[in-house]
Parts: sequence; structure tokens; C-alpha cells
Amino acid sequence: MWSTAREIAAGDLVILWLTREALQPLVITPGKDFNSKFGHYRHADLVGIPYGSKVASRKGKGFIHVLRPTPELWTMALPHRTQILYLADIAFITSHLNIKPGSRVIEAGTGSGSFSHSVARTVGSAGHLWSYEFHEVRAGKAREEFARHGMNDIVTLTHRNVCREGFTVTDTVDSVFLDLPAPWEAVEHAKQALRKDRTTRICCFSPCMEQVLRTVNALNDAGFTEITMYETLLRPLDVSHVPVLTPIGEISEKLKQAERKREDKRLKQIAAGRQQSASKRKREDGTRMDDQSPEAAEDSTAVERKRIKTDEESAGVPLDVLPEPVQVMDLDGPEDFDAPVAPSGRSPVPVSTAKISVSKVMSEVRGHTSYLTFASLQPFSPPPPETESLTAAVTPADVES
Amino acid sequence: MAATSSSVRESRDSTVQSGDLVLLRIPNGDIKGVKVEKDTTVTIGRLGSFYANELIDQPYGLTYEMVDKRLKVVPPRTIQEVEDTDATNELINDGEFVQPLTIDEIQKLKVSGVHVSDIIKKQIEQHANYSLKTEYSKEKYKKRKEEKYSKSFTTIEPTLYNVCDYWFNKDKTRIRDIRADSLSQMLNLANIRPGGRYIAVDDASGLVVAGILDRMGGEGRLLTICDTDSPPPYPVTANMNFKPHVTSNVLVSLNWATAEEDYTPIIPPSDIPEDQIRSERQKSRLNKRKAVTDLLSNTRDELFYGEFDSLIVASEYDPWSILEKLSPYVAGSGSIVVHSPHIQILSDLQTQMRGASQYLCPNITESFLRRYQVLPGRTHPTMVTSGTGGFVLHAIKIYDDPNASKVIFDRRKPKKPKADQATEQHVTSGSDSPLKEDTSIENTADTIMLDVGSQKVQ
Ligand SMILES: C[S@@+](CC[C@H](N)C(=O)[O-])C[C@H]1O[C@@H](n2cnc3c(N)ncnc32)[C@H](O)[C@@H]1O
Repeated sequence: MWSTAREIAAGDLVILWLTREALQPLVITPGKDFNSKFGHYRHADLVGIPYGSKVASRKGKGFIHVLRPTPELWTMALPHRTQILYLADIAFITSHLNIKPGSRVIEAGTGSGSFSHSVARTVGSAGHLWSYEFHEVRAGKAREEFARHGMNDIVTLTHRNVCREGFTVTDTVDSVFLDLPAPWEAVEHAKQALRKDRTTRICCFSPCMEQVLRTVNALNDAGFTEITMYETLLRPLDVSHVPVLTPIGEISEKLKQAERKREDKRLKQIAAGRQQSASKRKREDGTRMDDQSPEAAEDSTAVERKRIKTDEESAGVPLDVLPEPVQVMDLDGPEDFDAPVAPSGRSPVPVSTAKISVSKVMSEVRGHTSYLTFASLQPFSPPPPETESLTAAVTPADVES
Repeated sequence: MAATSSSVRESRDSTVQSGDLVLLRIPNGDIKGVKVEKDTTVTIGRLGSFYANELIDQPYGLTYEMVDKRLKVVPPRTIQEVEDTDATNELINDGEFVQPLTIDEIQKLKVSGVHVSDIIKKQIEQHANYSLKTEYSKEKYKKRKEEKYSKSFTTIEPTLYNVCDYWFNKDKTRIRDIRADSLSQMLNLANIRPGGRYIAVDDASGLVVAGILDRMGGEGRLLTICDTDSPPPYPVTANMNFKPHVTSNVLVSLNWATAEEDYTPIIPPSDIPEDQIRSERQKSRLNKRKAVTDLLSNTRDELFYGEFDSLIVASEYDPWSILEKLSPYVAGSGSIVVHSPHIQILSDLQTQMRGASQYLCPNITESFLRRYQVLPGRTHPTMVTSGTGGFVLHAIKIYDDPNASKVIFDRRKPKKPKADQATEQHVTSGSDSPLKEDTSIENTADTIMLDVGSQKVQ
């Protein structure tokens, strides 16, 4: 499909990775420039460099990554003409329909060709994809794209309404994928196109439950069995590298220290106030100072003295040799309690350099794409007459009602 | 257009062949693996037995009844029959209980404009009647139904999906919790196709190897690195019933010692001068040894030459150490895909990869899969669902340009050239930069930062 050479050549389709959300296909055409808010580049400068290179802008800041196209990158970069299928659904459908090298597959409608590119890659040149699109302009665009991507020997694109006119092959394909608004109208046609010498499979992709129910009925009526339905989604995870979480012992130390500081301040203020008022009284000829209880005054001065003393003692203790809070608990006496605390003015919490990776599901994720209804057609020939009628009772009895 | 004759070299026969390992679904829903060998009798536990030759050359997917060790094909079951026979919890016997709604009645209700939910309600009312019946009569009904179907089985086509599903239900730890949907994503992300060249580390019993081989169709190269002296048997591949060409021309293996460039494997000499060879037996032994030696040295050369399209890892070992060893052999723009049952392993790996310059945008996803029961009037998700199929990390290998510097846009003041200039000066470096730390920053409203994975020069 696309270049497998190590280096980029003129005429190659490359995928420019600008950001995770901004991918852009580009056909390398020497003489042309690629200018964007991500920098300025000459196509000619990209010729000869290996795929996967990071390329700096010719002037100023900015760079891009020049990647080799894959169907997965194409899905992220392609020009949208319709809604498209993405990785999770494409991969699951491919797997459930048993699409692999040599498989012959039908898809309708082609839409923007997201699914088509992935299938073409997987079936390879030994397989084949018949793709149908009833919208003329879309069919034309897809045909051009397939040709440009060297897929002509793998993909046959037909412009037609498959619900009305059916498919162009009979008893040929291994699987059918229907991404249309009314898949039930194409179920009988699909049955004709499927080969009858082995198990074949069908998948109908419908966003609404009502569509699923109609499809299921049509599949059942057409003799498909093992009808099941799935929904698949990708949950992207967001990983951050954060400092190890702080044990609450450190927080309690911080709080205690703040408390002590507050108390110190209060006591200092009291002392200062007392001094002030004492000198004031002296000045104002008063000799007694009894607006404060003597005990309280004595107590606070005592505590204050201790605090000041211990603060001095502990000054200079390096942060990283602070004992664990649990060791603090072993000590007794309020004085000793002060010892491990960092000098005032510096953070009492040791700054840990250790980091851990944590992950969480991204806050906004895709909640629903479509329901994937699968069924298979077994290589069983003689249809016994009873299976034609639907007179059998729909019993409410089931595994789960 | 008629079916063109099957000129394609298929990866396995479309019919059961002598020597195949065949998966059978028995009436209680269990899946059994049996070996089908020509001219033998196959026994399915206590269910019964049949002549293997009866199954040989039969297409997959059919249901058989065993009658005197011979097989009688029974028609595939329609939805109505599925409903009737899959009913093993609460059963109702048409003959014994009030006849619930028939399809005809439902159709009539629909035509007369009764809402679906009302039809369901009506059915539940009938159901309530049923639940009043004695356990005994239920049991009797159950027995009768089970007897009717007990002598039958259905062959399961060994598609990758079915084989993965079988192992996942049987013993998911042996396949490291890789569910079919996760596996399919890994194969797509790794761009597996015929003719590609891949390196894989598979400690998942060969499930990943089976998947890659299945998607290569016998063309290209798959080089696996294992932790054993000789190549591991990769037991899951046996369930695939591959034709020899699928594996033989494609799969080669090294181990963690022989995959080291500066290690010289200790190999007994095989180049012994003709005149010193004493016997034919010795000669053939030496030839064999020479073939092994040549294969080893060719495989090493191939690995060290590099330029592989992708690296796929589902290993019990430290993924970072695996990447350090093997990602140099991945070509530019190639994919790196790592699966783990544990998010912690991949979170740490992603953090490490972000600090290295050769990985573009490593990202982790978890696949969610929900199955629905689809029965008329009673379509809903199945009550039991698989919790997880593991996590997948994907990144693209790139060639760094340490001189490139990123642009930072500030959407709040895009029009002021001076402000722009200032913000453009902001070049983050080192893995401790807060901007660098959180790749999601590029999604946030205010800032777009180019090059998530960009790096300090080391
Ligand atoms: C959602 S798009 C398919 C997207 C496609 N699967 C992809 O991944 O890009 C559906 C397409 O089916 C086409 N379509 C709808 N009904 C059709 C019909 N009856 N026959 C052929 N094409 C039909 C529409 O024109 C539209 O382009």
C-alpha cells in the first residue's frame, strides 16, 4: 500500500504528526512548502530523511514528526467525508469476522474509507475488498484515494445502492460488514454474496438499538445463526508523575508547629503588651499591675522561655535528618517534642524527591460508538421446513430475562 | 461473478483434518478440546464418543448428534430454538404451563400499536405465573431438554477470536488476561500484515505469537525472544491448526542471552574436517548441529540489523528493560505495543518512556467490551461480563532532533506578537518541568504545547 522504504522519497504519502490531535497527510512534492503554526518546512528537505524523523522548522521554533502511514494513522489523519470507524471498533470487527490475509470481504458504505484501509492492509494482496458507496462524490473521492494509496489490486469500489441493487459478487466472500442506516435491507443480498462452503460472518454497525432489533430479525429470517451483539470502547488513561504522597504524620507536625508559632506570637504579644502597659503605668504614676492574673502571666513566660530555648537548640538541624513522626511519639515531655522540628521560617515538611506514577481514566471519554451485531451463516444445506415458520413460542424462559 | 477457486494459500484448512486439535461446544455450554486423529475414536468426556473419520473433511461450525459413534448433522439453531434450549435457570414447559406469548401474538400486539415495553411487561406477567410453578416440575423440564440435546456438539472454527476466547475463559492468567478485543487492538496497532517484520516477546502462552502469525499469512519475519534455552512451544498456536508454511518460514527465536550483541553463545564445534568424522551418525549429528548454529547466527544478525516494523510485548519481565534492549532494532516510525494486566506496570513504563527521546506519545488504553443478549423483546447486556482484558501501551519509535525546540501557544493572547515572542522563549527541559510532566496539558484550554514526548538531551 504505502512505501516500505526506510527513507522518504518524492511522491510518498507521509503523515505529519503536529500534535496528538493534529495529524495531517501530505504527499511529498519537492518545490512545495508546508507552512503552519508549527513551523515552516520545504518538502524537498524531507526527501531522503528516514521515516519517523523529528524535523525542526527552517526558521524559528517548532518541529514536526514525519511518519510512515499506517491504517491506524490514516484513521487519525484522513479527510472526513462521513462519520468514521476508529481503532477499537475496527480491530474488534476485524477479529470477530476473522479477517486475515487472503480474506475476501465486502463493506458498505465506503464512507471516508477508514475501515477500508485497515481491511486492505490485513487481507493483503492475496485477499480482496469489495467496497460499495451510493453517494457519487464520496465514491469518487474514495476511488481516487485508493488509487493514490496503491490499493487498486486489493480494493474494488462500486458506486451503487446496495440495499436496492445488492452486491456485485455471489457465493464469494468470507465476510460482510454493513455500516449503513438500514442494514436489514441488505441482509438478503449479503447472504447471496457470502460463500456457502464454510462458515461465513456478517457484522452490522448501528448506533441505535431500534436498528439492531430490526437487523436481528432480518438476520434470523435469512437463516443466520449465532446472533450476538457487542459494544466496545477504549478508555484512555492519563498518567502523571507525582511526588510520593505525604504521610499525615508530616501534616500533623506542620499543624503542631503552626500552633506553637501562634502561641509564641501570642505570648510575645502578651509580654510586649505587659511591658508596654507597665511602663505606661509607671509613666502614669500607677505602681500595681493587676489586669492579668499573676499565675497566667507566670505560666506563659515559663513556656515562652522553654520554647525560645528549644528553638535555639534545634536550629541548624538539617531537614533531611528529621526523624519520623513515630519516633517523635516515643519521646516524652513537651520540651523534647520540639526537638525534631525544623527551625522556624523553613518548611517543617521534608521535601521528598521521590516520585511515583499514577494513572486515572481521562475525564472525558467516548461513551458510545455503535452496537456491533454479529451473526454467522453455517455451511448447512437442507433447510428443514419447520425453520421457515416463526410459530414457535417466544417463551419468557431464558438465562436472563 | 462466481467464486474464484481458492488459489490463496490459506493459513489452515477450512475443514477438519487428521491431527487437528478441535474445539467442541457441548450442550451445557462448555468447550472441550479434542485431538482428531484418523481411524481413531474421539471421546468427549461422559457425553459420548464418535469415529474421528466422521469429522474429518467436515467444515467447521456445524452441530452434530452422536448416534452409535456416527455423526448426524443437525440444523443450526434459530433464535427461537436458542431461547428454548439455553433456558437453564428458569424453565417453562409449553405443555405444562400457561402458554406465553407466541411470535404471532407479539406481531399482532406490535401491529396494533402496543409499545415494546408493554409487550415486555406482558411477558413478565406471564413469567410471574411461571415462577409460581414448583421446582420439581422445572427440574423435570430441564432434564427432558438436556436429554434431548445431550448427545450433540458443535465444532468451533479455530479463528484467532475463538481461540483467544476459549483460552480467556479457560485460564486467563496463562494468557496474561489478553482478551480478544485487546489482542485485536495490539495486532492493529502493531500494523501486522503479510510481509512485515516483527519482534515479539510473548510470555502469554503464545497467544500473541498465534495472532501475529495469523495476520502474516506465511509471509515476513517474526522474531521472538524467550526466556528458555530452546524456543518455547507457544501452546496456543497448537489450537490454530496452522499449515506448516505459516510458521516454518516466518518464526525464529532467540533468548535473552543470545539476543545480546556482545554475548558470544557457547556452541560446540560443528566444522570438523571430513577425515575426522568416523560415522554416518556422527556426520548427521554434526550437520544438524551446524544447521542449528547457522540458524542462531543468522537470527542474531537479523535482529542486530534491526529495522523491524514493530515490537510487541506481553511479558512477565520488566518492560522498560525489554524496551531498552529491543527498541533500538525497531525502525523509525515503527510501533511499540506493550500489554500488561497491571496498570501500574504500564504507568511506570510510560513515565520512563516520556523521559527518553525515541518514543513519540506513549499512551495507555484499556479496552471495554460488553456483550448483549439479543432475543426478541429481551435484548440487554449480559449480566456477567469480563472485567478487564488488560492494558495496552502504544508508542511510535522516532529519531530525535535534539536541536528542535518547541512552540508554545497561548490562546488567551494570540494576537499580540510581543506576548507570543515571550511565550516562545518558554522551552521546557528536563523531566521535572511541570509542563512536561502532564501530557494532557496539550488538551487543556489555554495552552497547546507541541511535542509531548520531547526531551532534554541526555
Ligand atoms: C458512516 S459511513 C461509513 C463510514 C466508513 N465505515 C468509514 O469507516 O469511513 C456510511 C456510508 O454509507 C453510505 N450508504 C448509506 N446507504 C447506502 C446504500 N444503501 N448503499 C451504498 N452506500 C450507502 C453513505 O453514503 C455513507 O457514506
